Amino acid sequence: MKFEALNLVLNRLAIAVVTLLIVLFAVFFATNMLPGDTASILLGQAATPEAVAGLREAMHLNDPAILRFLRWLVGLLHGDLGTSYANDMPVAALIGGRFVNTMKLAGITTLLSVPLALTLGITAAMLRGSVYDRTVTVLSIGVISVPEFMVATLAVLLFAVYLKWLPALSAVNEAHSLADLVRIYAMPVITLTFVISAQMIRMTRAAVIETLSTPYVEMALLKGASRGRIVLRHALPNALGPIVNAIALSLSYLVGGVIIVETIFNYPGIAKLMVDAVATRDLPLIQSCAMIFCLGYLFLITAADIVAIMSNPRLR
Amino acid sequence: MTTAGAASVRRSFLGHSYNLVGVVTALVILAWTLVAIFAPYIIPHSIGDIVDDDYFSPIRRGLWLGSDYLGRDMLSRLLMGARYTVGISLAAVSIACFSGVVLGMTAAVTGGWLDTCLSRFLDAMNSIPSKLFGLVVVAAVGSSIPVLIVTLAVIYIPGAYRFARALAVNINTMDFMTVARVRGESIVYLTGSEILPNIIRPVLADFGLRFVFIVLLLSGLSFLGLGLQPPLADWGALVRENIGGLPFAAPAVIVPSLAIASLTISVNLLIDNLPQKIRDRDA
Amino acid sequence: MTVDITNGIRAHDAMVENAIRRGASRRELLNMLLAGGAAMAAGGAVLGRATQAVAATPVSGGHFKAAGWSSSTADTLDPAKASLSTDYVRCCSLYNRLTFLDKDGVTQMELAESFDTKDAKTWTVKLRKGVTFHDGKDLTADDVVFSLKRHLDPAVGSKVAKIAAQMTGFKAVDKSTVEITLADPNADLPTILALHHFMIVANGTTDFSKGNGTGAFVLNTFEPGARSLVTKNKNYWKSGKPYLESFEFFAISDDSARVNALLSGDIHLAASINPRTMKLIESQQGFGLSKTTSGNYTDLNIRLDMDPGSKADFVAGMKYLVNREQIVKSALRGLGEIGNDQPVSPANVFHNADLKPKAFDPDKAKFHFQKSGLLGQSIPVVASDAATSSIDMAVIIQAAGANIGMKLDVKRVPSDGYWDNYWLKAPVHFGNINPRPTPDILFSLLYASNAPWNESQYKSEKFDKMLVEARGLLDQAKRKEIYSAMQVMVSEEAGTIIPAYISNVDALSNKVKGLEANPLGGMMGYAMAEYLWVEA
Repeated sequence: MKFEALNLVLNRLAIAVVTLLIVLFAVFFATNMLPGDTASILLGQAATPEAVAGLREAMHLNDPAILRFLRWLVGLLHGDLGTSYANDMPVAALIGGRFVNTMKLAGITTLLSVPLALTLGITAAMLRGSVYDRTVTVLSIGVISVPEFMVATLAVLLFAVYLKWLPALSAVNEAHSLADLVRIYAMPVITLTFVISAQMIRMTRAAVIETLSTPYVEMALLKGASRGRIVLRHALPNALGPIVNAIALSLSYLVGGVIIVETIFNYPGIAKLMVDAVATRDLPLIQSCAMIFCLGYLFLITAADIVAIMSNPRLR
Repeated sequence: MTTAGAASVRRSFLGHSYNLVGVVTALVILAWTLVAIFAPYIIPHSIGDIVDDDYFSPIRRGLWLGSDYLGRDMLSRLLMGARYTVGISLAAVSIACFSGVVLGMTAAVTGGWLDTCLSRFLDAMNSIPSKLFGLVVVAAVGSSIPVLIVTLAVIYIPGAYRFARALAVNINTMDFMTVARVRGESIVYLTGSEILPNIIRPVLADFGLRFVFIVLLLSGLSFLGLGLQPPLADWGALVRENIGGLPFAAPAVIVPSLAIASLTISVNLLIDNLPQKIRDRDA
Repeated sequence: MTVDITNGIRAHDAMVENAIRRGASRRELLNMLLAGGAAMAAGGAVLGRATQAVAATPVSGGHFKAAGWSSSTADTLDPAKASLSTDYVRCCSLYNRLTFLDKDGVTQMELAESFDTKDAKTWTVKLRKGVTFHDGKDLTADDVVFSLKRHLDPAVGSKVAKIAAQMTGFKAVDKSTVEITLADPNADLPTILALHHFMIVANGTTDFSKGNGTGAFVLNTFEPGARSLVTKNKNYWKSGKPYLESFEFFAISDDSARVNALLSGDIHLAASINPRTMKLIESQQGFGLSKTTSGNYTDLNIRLDMDPGSKADFVAGMKYLVNREQIVKSALRGLGEIGNDQPVSPANVFHNADLKPKAFDPDKAKFHFQKSGLLGQSIPVVASDAATSSIDMAVIIQAAGANIGMKLDVKRVPSDGYWDNYWLKAPVHFGNINPRPTPDILFSLLYASNAPWNESQYKSEKFDKMLVEARGLLDQAKRKEIYSAMQVMVSEEAGTIIPAYISNVDALSNKVKGLEANPLGGMMGYAMAEYLWVEA
C-alpha cells in the first residue's frame, strides 16, 4: 500500500509539472496576442514612435518575445524569477510579501469556510426536504447571487462606516496584536467565505444525497444502523471524491481570483499584482504570477485526486 | 428520512409528482422568460433616455423602480436586462455543463490517454485567469453576443468537467459497469444509459450553481468590453454601475440584485424539486 | 421670503467653511449668508469665524494618510516617468521644481530665484542658495542641467520629451546659475518648468528608488502598486515646513471603497471622488469637499481625414447634437463647466470667455446629417473607462441621436491598451486630456499640423503661424489676442468636441487643514503634502 501511494504521488507530481509548462506557454501566447508592449503602455499618451523605440531599446525589449520567455524559463530553473519590466525590481521581491499575504487570507478563509460548508452540506442532505434544508439552500444560493463587490461594499458600509466596529481597509502592516489581526481580517474573510461556501455546500449536499440513495446504504438501514453512523461510515467515504473536488475548485479561487476583495479592502495580495502585470505587459511578472496560481490550483486538485482515489478502494 | 413540510408534500398530476416549491419556482422562471421575450414592447421608456434630473431616485409615480446613476428609468432597464441575463446565461451554462459532463463521463469510462490528456488540458485552462482570457478574446475576435456566450461557456467547462468526471469515476468502478463493458456495450451506451442517470442529480445541482457564476461573470466581461454595449446592460451590470446608490438604499442597486437572486434561487430550488419522474428512476 | 435670523449656529459655519474650501470668493459667501437671511453684522461674524478656521495656525506633527485612485507596479519615483496622481503626489513630496503655480495660476519661484531673458530664447536662471538634497549634497547648477537634459534621452522614456525638446542648450554658468537656450523663442519657459515632470533630481541619479531630492519629505518605504511612506525632512529649506511628521499614500481604485475608507476614519483624504458620492459625504459630520476645475477634459474626436469626419456636415451635425448642459448635469452631476470645443479652460488667464459654446440643437443636427447623407447609417463611437466619463457621455449623445434617427453605436472597449489602440486612431472616439498650464503647450501638443496628439488631424497653416508668433511674444496683451483667435479657430474648424471641463473633487476629514484648490489639479496640484497639517 505504501509503495502504491508513493507511486501515485510521484505520478501526480510529474503530471503537475507537465500541466504547469502547458499553462506557462498558454499564458505567454495569450499575453502576446494582446496589443502593445511595456514600452508603449508605460509611455501611455506620450507614446510617439520615436519615444517607444527608444524606451524599447533601453529596456532590451527588442529581442523577440519567445526568446525572452525562454530566457525567463531558464532563469526559473535556477530559482531566478527575473526582473520586472515596469519598475526594474526583482520579481521575487515584488511577489514575496504579497504572496505571504495571499496565503494568510486564503488560509484563514479555508479554516472558517470548509468546516462550515461541510457541516451545512451534510446536515442539509441528511434532513433533505425539511425547512432546515430549504433554508440552507435558499440562503446559500441567495448569498452567492449577490455579486462579490456588493457583499464587500455592504459589509464596509455597515461595519466600518455606520457602526465603526471594524476598519474599512486591511492595513496588514499595522497589525500589532491578535486583536488587531482579527479586526483587520474579519471583513475580507467573511466576504470570501460568503463567496466560496455556496459551491462547497451545494456540491456536498448533492453528493451525499446521491450516496444516501444507493443500495448499500439501504442495506445499512435495514441492518438497523443509526442515521449518523450511516452518513459518516457508509455514505461519506463514497461521496468524498466529488466533495473534495468541489472544495478544491472553490479554494483555488482564493489563490488568484480575489481581485475584488483586494481592491476594496486595499489588501496587498498577488491577485492585483497579476492584473497590474497584464496591464503593463510585464512578461516576467505575468509568468511568475501565472506559475503561482497554477501551482496553487494543481496542489489543490492533486490533493483532491489523491483523497478521491484513496477513499474508493476500487480505484487504488 | 425526510421531515415533510406542507411545501414538500408531493401531489400527482399527469403521471408526474410535483410539489408547491417546484411549481412556484417554475412560474418565476417562466415569468422572467416572458419578460425577456416581450421586453421591448412593455418598457415605459427607452432604456437610453434620461428621464430624471436627479439620480438614484426612490420609487415614485412614473418612475416605478426609481432612476439610475444617470437619471434613466430603472424599470425599463431592468425589464430589458432580463433578456441578456436569462438568455445569455442559460445558453452559456447549457453549453458549459453539457460539454463538461459529456467530456467528463467519456474520460472516466475510457480512461488511459484520452483521460490524461483531457484532464491536463482542462486543468491548464482552469489555471488561466478569466480576466486575461477575456482580454485576449476581445483582442483576437472582437466582441459580440455569440462570442460572449462561447467565452462564458469555455471558462466554466473545466469545472463542470472535473466534477462530472469525479462522479463518473466512482460509478465506473461499480459491478454493473464491468458487466456492461463485458457485454461489449458502446461508449455512448455506457455513458448515456448507465452512468448519466446515476450522476444526473449532482450534475444538475452543479448546473444550477454554474448558472449563478455565469450570471455574475457576464457583467464582469461586459466591463472588459466583451459583449453587451451601452446602453444595453444585463442585471449584473446594472448592479455594478449603480453600486454608488448602496448607502442610500436606492432601488437602482437593490432591485437588480433582488432580480438576480430571484432567478438564481428559483433555478436552484426548481432543480431540487423537479417533477419526480424525471429525477428518480426508483421513485 | 421669511427673514430667518439663524446666524451663528454651527450649520452655517460648516456651510461657509465648505464654501470657502470650494473656492468661493468673499462676495459669494456674503451673498450666501444674506440670502439665508442672516443679518449683515452677524453674517460678517460667521464669515470671519469661518475664514479664521481656514487661516488657522498650523500644528506640527501628525501622520497623514491619503488615497488616490490609481496605482500599479508601474508606480515610479522618477519624475520623468511620472503619470497620474499617485506618482505626482509622491514626487512632489520628495522633490522640488524650479517654479510652481499658485492657486491663482500665477507662476511662482521655488528652487529658482529668478528668470531673466531679453529675447525669450536665451534664459538665465538664478538658483536659490543653501538648498541640500536628502543625502546631504548641495543643490548646484549641475543638478539642474542633468535633471532637464535627461528628458531628451529616449532611454529615459520621459513623458515630456516632446515639450523638453524645445530646450536645446544647457550651461552651468556657475554653481548657482544655469543658462537655458531654446530652439525658438518661448515666453512660457518659467511656466513650463512648473510641470511636475521637471522636478530637480541629483546629478547622475540612475536609481530612483531612493527618492533623493530636495523636497519636504524623505523616503521611508516605497512599494510600487502598494503604498509609500515618507517622513519629515528636518533640513527642508522652506523653514517651518512641512508640518506633517509622516505621510502615507496609496490608491483605492474602487470609488465607493475610497469614500468609505474616508468615512470610517481609515484615511484623512480621498482624492478625486465620484460626484455621486458627494451626497453621502455631505450627510456625515466631520468631512468637507475641495473642488478644483483645472482644465481636464474628455473630448469626442472625429478624424477629419477619414470617413465619416471627412464630411464637414457630419462634424457640424455632431457639434449640434452634443447636449452640453445634459452632460454636465447628468454625467458629471454638475461637477464641470460647459466647454466651447477648445482646450483652454476658464482656469487659464488666456481663456476666451467671449466664445460661446454651441447650443444643443437637434433640428440643426438632423439637417446637417441629412445633408451629409449619413442619416440612418450606423456610426461606431469608441469609448472607454480610460477616458473619464466617456461612456456616460457616449450614451447621452447616442440617445439624442436616436431621437432624430441617427444611429450611433457605442463601442465600449477595455481601458487596457486604450491609448495604444484606439486613441488618435479610430474614426470617432473619445480622448481625455490632462490640464496643461499654457495654451502654447496645449496647441502644440494637440492642434499644430505636426502635433503628436492631433486627435482630429486638424491642419491649418494659418494656425501654425499664429502659434509660433504668439510663443515668442513677451507682450501679454498681444498674446491674449492671438490665443483668443486661435481658440475660435479650433472651436469652429477642428473635429474635437469638448463638452465640458471636468472638475475634480477631493474629500477630506475636517481635521485636515491647509488644502486649497490649484489649477494644476486636485490635491493642491498634487503638491499638498508640504502645505497640510492635521489637527488632533
